[in-house]
Amino acid sequence: MDDERIEDAISGVDQGAGIRVTSGERTTYANGNVADVDDLMALAGRAARSVAEGGELHEADEPEPDELPRRSTVAIDPRSVAVERKVELLRRADEVARGLDPRIHQVTASYGESVQEVLIANSDGLFRTDTRVRLNLAVHAIAKQGDVLESGFEAIRGTAGFEMLTDQAVEQAATDAARRAVLNVGAEPAPAGTYTVVLSSEAGGTLIHESVGHGLEADLNLKGLSVYAGRIGQKVASELITVIDDGTDPDKRGTAAMDDEGTATHRTVLIEKGILRTYLSDRKHAEKLGIARSGNARRESFRYLPICRMTNTLIAPGKSDPAEILRSVKEGVFVKKMGGGQVDVVSGNFAFEITECYRIRDGKLAEPLRGATLVGQGPKLMSEIDMVGTDLGYSTGTCGKDGQGAPVADAQPTIRIPSVVVGGKLK
Amino acid sequence: MSERLTNEATVDAALSALKASGATGEVFLREAQSGSVEIKEGAVEAVIARGERGIGIRVLDEQRLGFAYTSDLSNEGIRACVDISRRMSALTERDEDLALATRHIDDADLDIYQAGIVDRPLSERGAIALAVEEAARETDPRVKQFRKTTYSDSESTTIIATTTGVRASFRESYCGVMTSAVASENGDRQIGYHGEAARRFGELDPARVGRRAAQRAVEKLGAKPLATQKVPVVLDPWMAMDLLRAIGPLFSADNVLKGRSLFANKVGQRVANERVTIVDDARRPRGLRSAPFDGEGVATETRTLIDKGVLRGYLTSLKTARKLGAEPTGNARRSGYGSPARIGPSNLFVAAGTDDATAIIGGLDRALAVTSLLNLHTIDPVSGEFSLGATGNYLERGNRVHPAQGITIAGNLTHLLSSVVAVGTDLVFGPSGLGSPTLLISELSVGGA
Repeated sequence: MDDERIEDAISGVDQGAGIRVTSGERTTYANGNVADVDDLMALAGRAARSVAEGGELHEADEPEPDELPRRSTVAIDPRSVAVERKVELLRRADEVARGLDPRIHQVTASYGESVQEVLIANSDGLFRTDTRVRLNLAVHAIAKQGDVLESGFEAIRGTAGFEMLTDQAVEQAATDAARRAVLNVGAEPAPAGTYTVVLSSEAGGTLIHESVGHGLEADLNLKGLSVYAGRIGQKVASELITVIDDGTDPDKRGTAAMDDEGTATHRTVLIEKGILRTYLSDRKHAEKLGIARSGNARRESFRYLPICRMTNTLIAPGKSDPAEILRSVKEGVFVKKMGGGQVDVVSGNFAFEITECYRIRDGKLAEPLRGATLVGQGPKLMSEIDMVGTDLGYSTGTCGKDGQGAPVADAQPTIRIPSVVVGGKLK
Repeated sequence: MSERLTNEATVDAALSALKASGATGEVFLREAQSGSVEIKEGAVEAVIARGERGIGIRVLDEQRLGFAYTSDLSNEGIRACVDISRRMSALTERDEDLALATRHIDDADLDIYQAGIVDRPLSERGAIALAVEEAARETDPRVKQFRKTTYSDSESTTIIATTTGVRASFRESYCGVMTSAVASENGDRQIGYHGEAARRFGELDPARVGRRAAQRAVEKLGAKPLATQKVPVVLDPWMAMDLLRAIGPLFSADNVLKGRSLFANKVGQRVANERVTIVDDARRPRGLRSAPFDGEGVATETRTLIDKGVLRGYLTSLKTARKLGAEPTGNARRSGYGSPARIGPSNLFVAAGTDDATAIIGGLDRALAVTSLLNLHTIDPVSGEFSLGATGNYLERGNRVHPAQGITIAGNLTHLLSSVVAVGTDLVFGPSGLGSPTLLISELSVGGA
């Protein structure tokens, strides 16, 4: 829904398969749209032919189907919900966002559902299936004041059933998107410089995703490229920091029964009280690094090879009262919502967008700031965090790596960073 | 094996199904073969061969638009796709300006297809990637590793046909190679990315790609923080392209009409420094985003969007052109059969200027020459605000004082265009069709220590 009209309605089916053959250090992957068994056999032939000649052929083990526990409950299958109800939710979102403030100038609301049926079979006899029902309701509001335009965004996303999209949840998302647009259009540009920063639990988990998560992917560590390579058992963060990746967390956006090699998803403690415990692995890298398979081999679709990546990643709650963390800062910046981020895993330098933030003056929230970004170096920042709250807040996103998108969720408690660079403008 | 229709026969079948259902609409078919080769430590590590074929069907029923797509190209699959598209059209709202293409598309040879690019032997394709790494290592002994080096190629056919009588097709090929070189010295490690692409296999220059990635990594070694300040900023062609990509949405007529573009109501007005001319050229021979027609079956054009700083027009689709009372420009682009048409640029570039790139840098007391930008995807084209992580070389009187990291650069895209005070002669096109010469920005805010 855009400009108060239902503008696009799209439906489609994409069906295909990929055949992966590994021979020594080489992997060959043939994939394509597949309609029937003949197409599949043709793909298999194509994959086998491209592997170095002279290899020995042997019969694959008999498949041994088994069922993995489903991690998300889908009480209401979105396909069973009348499309009118979905349209109604969009109209409601549009109405709520536009009604919030006369400066709201444009609203786009979109609803998307996808049902991904996955079957993984391999020559070891593994034969597993998974169904991932994912929902996405997003609201993008624009506020205008004079010549200045500012955006506000909020989304409800999960691997879950339609029950996730209550009227109340949708109204809240629309309100948050519109409120953020209005706040930013009236805010002063963030002044560039180094500040004490409090990241609210409401801000979501972009920080942990960028500053640590990517650096713990096993493929980068096997190559010795990550700042965390070869450091299992060593202190890589403040003892206040425990980092967990949990692909089993019910209904979250990065949740599934298994990863895209058929390994069951796990709750993996990556960093425990500052000590690095393990990496996010697929089969190949788990074996080469001698670590347990963590169920983190993910792929966008049958068109791609699986790669090591995050599911739902979080910093575990700590012991400080979130209100006390704010009160402890005399002068600083309070981040209420983070947007997208990016990291250079080799140097550890990361940046993330801040979509809602305020000045802190004398331990209290003061004027809003717009256009801020936060940059730092992962291990350095993680060793400097000196307060961790008892709360926990989630956000969702689509993680990009090697040209593949993957749905993820991230979470963190309220934390304090004594000194970090905040990007913005100078007068 | 099941009956496999040719591409043309598939389109015929879909058109017939559309007509049989009494609907007016359009069929878009894309067939692509693509592949990639990844290398590791001097040997091929992964080979990917990918095939895709599918159709997208748009139905325009009583001025309401529906869209459905499928990879099931059996007769039943095609008929189901038409039915779903019709059902989708019942959900959307009437818009008097919606239209299907009706004009004949001219025959243009854009030289964008080289037959057999995906059928080259693995040895030849892998050799390109290996040559990139070799060149990078030879450039500087501090380059010891690579995050990833990938050669990729594709060959595809696109067909569009409407019930209003437009029918056209084109083939295109693409090959590209990219690497991320890693340089190490005294415990410091830095990455340098570079990638290039071409329509023809013989036009790739792996040595140049390797050298440039190596330079990018090595020049960041020993990087230090920089003090928070306002400073002139030099954007080399590759960095300028990164920011130019973010400017693209400002030209979209859809954004203009919906009040989402800072260029709304600015045609004929100055929106950039007079040194700046920006062109969108879908007809550029061998251009990486060149195509004879767009995703709605409208012939493409070569257009000057900003002429010596003055905004000349927008990028339009059939619908938005009608709303603006303008001609459609052929910019309703589709990334695949499953994607609806969205307005976007083709080969968007800043025209070459008259300043020598080296002289630009030499003439400044102090400047920051940007060497990489983080978080480009978060630039908000609506507000135009950007605040990005960066690395760069801090320069005084044209000489490098030290490389910098852990800094930010911030500004607004419209302000950036007004602040271009020198434009180099060194126009280069990148792997995604964007092009730019070196640009000097009079001043940006740098956040740091």
